[in-house]
Amino acid sequence: MSVFIEAVIRVVIAFGFLLTTVLLLVWVERKFVSRLQNRIGPTRAGPFGILQTLADGLKSFFKEGITPDRADVWLYLAAPVIAVVTALLMFLVIPIGAPIEINGTTYSLAAMDIDVGLLYILAVSSIGVYAITLAGWASGSKYPLLGSVRASAQMISYEAAMGLALVPVVMFSGSLSISAIVESQQGTFFGVVPAWNVVLFPSFVVFLIAGFAETNRAPFDLVEAEQEIVGGYHTEYSGMRFALFFLAEYISVFNISALTTVLFLGGWSGPVFGPTVLQWVLPIFWFLLKTWLIILFFVWVRASLPRMRYDQLMAFGWKKLIPLTLGWIILLSIALGFRNFGAPWA
Amino acid sequence: MSWFADMLGPFRGFAVTLRQLSRPAVTTQYPDEKRVKPERFHGRHVLNRNLDGTEKCIGCELCAAVCPAKCIYVRGADNPPDNPVSEGERFGFVYEINMLRCIFCALCVEACPTEAITMTHLFEMSTTDRTEAIYTKDDLLVERDGTPNHPYPESPLININELRLGDGWMRATSPSGRADYEGVVQWSPSARTGSMPAEVGQSGDISHEETPDG
Amino acid sequence: MTNPPDDVDTLDAQDSEPTESVEDARRTQHDMWVSGTEERLPYSDATNEGAQELLPSSEDPALDIQRGISVDDDFVVPERVVDKERQIINMGPQHPSTHGVLRLHMELEGETVRRVKPIIGYLHTGMEKTAETLSYSQGSTNVTRMDYLAPFHNELVFSLAAEQLLTLEVPERASAIRILMTELNRVASHLLASATMGMDVGAISMMIYGWREREVCLDFFEKVTGLRMNHNYIRVGGVAADLPDGWEDDVMFLIDKVSAGVDEYEELLNENPIFLDRMLGVGVLTPAEVKQFGITGPVARASGVDWDLRKVAPYCGIEQYEFDVPLGRHGDSFDRYKIRIDEIRQSLRIAKQVVESMPLGDYRSLDAKVTPPPRARIDESMEALIHHFKLFTEGVNIPPGTAYQAVEGPRGEVGAYIVSKGGPKPWRLRWRAPSFAVIQALPAMMTDSLIADVIAALASTDPVLGDVDR
Repeated sequence: MSVFIEAVIRVVIAFGFLLTTVLLLVWVERKFVSRLQNRIGPTRAGPFGILQTLADGLKSFFKEGITPDRADVWLYLAAPVIAVVTALLMFLVIPIGAPIEINGTTYSLAAMDIDVGLLYILAVSSIGVYAITLAGWASGSKYPLLGSVRASAQMISYEAAMGLALVPVVMFSGSLSISAIVESQQGTFFGVVPAWNVVLFPSFVVFLIAGFAETNRAPFDLVEAEQEIVGGYHTEYSGMRFALFFLAEYISVFNISALTTVLFLGGWSGPVFGPTVLQWVLPIFWFLLKTWLIILFFVWVRASLPRMRYDQLMAFGWKKLIPLTLGWIILLSIALGFRNFGAPWA
Repeated sequence: MSWFADMLGPFRGFAVTLRQLSRPAVTTQYPDEKRVKPERFHGRHVLNRNLDGTEKCIGCELCAAVCPAKCIYVRGADNPPDNPVSEGERFGFVYEINMLRCIFCALCVEACPTEAITMTHLFEMSTTDRTEAIYTKDDLLVERDGTPNHPYPESPLININELRLGDGWMRATSPSGRADYEGVVQWSPSARTGSMPAEVGQSGDISHEETPDG
Repeated sequence: MTNPPDDVDTLDAQDSEPTESVEDARRTQHDMWVSGTEERLPYSDATNEGAQELLPSSEDPALDIQRGISVDDDFVVPERVVDKERQIINMGPQHPSTHGVLRLHMELEGETVRRVKPIIGYLHTGMEKTAETLSYSQGSTNVTRMDYLAPFHNELVFSLAAEQLLTLEVPERASAIRILMTELNRVASHLLASATMGMDVGAISMMIYGWREREVCLDFFEKVTGLRMNHNYIRVGGVAADLPDGWEDDVMFLIDKVSAGVDEYEELLNENPIFLDRMLGVGVLTPAEVKQFGITGPVARASGVDWDLRKVAPYCGIEQYEFDVPLGRHGDSFDRYKIRIDEIRQSLRIAKQVVESMPLGDYRSLDAKVTPPPRARIDESMEALIHHFKLFTEGVNIPPGTAYQAVEGPRGEVGAYIVSKGGPKPWRLRWRAPSFAVIQALPAMMTDSLIADVIAALASTDPVLGDVDR
């Protein structure tokens, strides 16, 4: 099979999986947050309202896309596309299950298993900031501009915290390849506790918090804070273009949850038994289970916490998270140095 | 262990939201589930008939006079002597309520000396045309057997049975502040609801049956 | 009715006739148009849209005033600001969190709000003028719609003012019912205020929880009056209908539900660091500012101004019931939130006492010229029939005179000033709206704070634009 065809098949499967998951994700979020608030949530479209997202998407598709007079048209149109493309691209390097061996060939369950996966993720998510910044700027309107200014500041700051939070993972696992990082978490400590990177607890917490900020989720959703700046960067977007931003946000939520699973919770690792097919399916199941638990945690946080203020957010990022991760990196380097090279006085 | 509780303080909110999972939802699935309205509910008006089928309205126009929104238009006419429409000398010849103006204060119900106009439990009155919001006598007046009328009885929002309930506000305001008149039936039976009992009142003396829709 | 004590000089001022010279001095002081004067009108275009805009900052005297007032917010104000770097932004009238149709004209420097001008009038429907065309029997339906979150207080103050002119004593049970309904209304209003306040700082669950408990209150109102809002229940001479059978159980159920709910809000928010960061020290008003702007109610009490009309000028025999007036110390958004939560508890305490001590008997004045006869009497007595017709066509006749009556509403002093020339309709009705005083204090609260603080401060003052614009 030519490399090209294989790549196309992998990408199509990955995107298909991702979009289906997002449809489900929006529904799960709405249902779960409703239950946390004594409400029922969507019930009308399909059984238990499970097709609600599809219906909303269809509705957006048929609505008029309004372009403001003062908009910078090309950038205005490009912004939602950039948002979705970067969000989709990020997923490509995340393995959703253990490698499968068919006829002697091993297939990785990531669409694109590259050696510098982690750097790739950081790079792509940095490009994602452009979508929001451009959207706010190109709308030619004041509320979106405020939103995009908030977005750039917030995402750049938390990008730094996120990158620093990943350094200990790389140090601990000794690789930038995501598959390798997952492989390194397969064993157990003392034969009981799974050897997941969650032992790097400060990194885990910082990564999760930075993940909330990267995806503009509550309590860091001040980029689109409805109560303050109406809709933030997507105030002027309507119809399908708005739906693309919406889609991108939820893909990002799934991406961050999947990344947390892969980097800190051992990815697909879990008890595997039974026939070959079950051995293929079970890792995927473990991966999805962990990812969905993180997603539910995202929703739970959204229902429980108020929104932070802009200056408090920046102070929290620069004055708390980044010093914390830097200190943690130093501590961990010393510890790893002792482990690898022995104590200098010995 | 108080230091531990203090440390958990910032996270207590999470327990509050999680606790709701075990509680039933407070919202309902309108219009599939309609809540039971209290007896005094101010809903759409109806014009009642006596048990013998004559109209209760005597065309006195008190309702039109008291209406603060000026949404009621009544014109009385003399009863034909051979075939009287109402019990009195006159009857409501024209009776229109503009539901777009009505504020549902129920002053018309209090003013009506013959309990001809009362309020029911139906409040779904949306239309796509302003002229349809003006309810004429045909829409308001119940049939001779007491069946209420509605311009669109088949509409999925309409539960025609809700038009059979009501009159609670008329009964509640009938004593007009006199404790002595509480628990006294001060109204004649109507074809739509039959004879309605009074509220128990302050004495707490239950000398009659509970109301069926209470 | 009970008159306010003598030390309230502002209330007494209207009774004394000012001398000619003083009046003239006042006229020149306030650029008011006075019939017959030749002076040019300084703000002749004051009602134009143009005059509502922010002036250029070099010409704006308000800026200095705003700056001069001590705003101990948490932001350092740089002295030199280039005008080019500022932008004007309109928040409202169509904005998710301006509590109706308030428009805030703001000058921003980045995220920092340098100047604010609240612009009102988008909900003005001339209700004071409408009141002149409605009789006293119909008047309740009109005034109840002004502050639509406190309908019972509006009806009560209107009825009390009319009764003051009639020198009418209402029966004890009517007063007790009025107290019960207004205090529960205060609970409902504060619940909504807390809920929307949570919503505005991003705690979306708080909104639903607050409305959940408010629903219990509204259900009770609906059971009593047949309507959830704008009840037309408290009338001149008493209340329209007695409380329905089993109301004691309903009130006790309500008290239980709301108490449990309020505990839950405190658990959700009081210790939440993000909520505290958003609320503490935001939108501060000093006691001096509170008095200057004429602010009353929870906003004033959060600043430590001990002024509650239920204690200062009791009405409807509220002095019989035991309750405390919670006071704040800092005058910031968090204290206002806390005061409301405490006031909910105090109001429930009053409601419980009302249930325990509800007197029996009539609940509407027996004066035949004020209260229509019972329905049974219409068929029996000619006189009753005539009274019934007279009262429902013409209305209650009120002797000439003026009366001012105020009650403690959820947002502060709700006052009705009725000028009667005799007859069934007021010649003039003037409403003292508590939200209006708060709106004019917004610049003092918001200058040099962040956009997010503007929202938090506005939510904490809980304005009702229907009350402001009328």
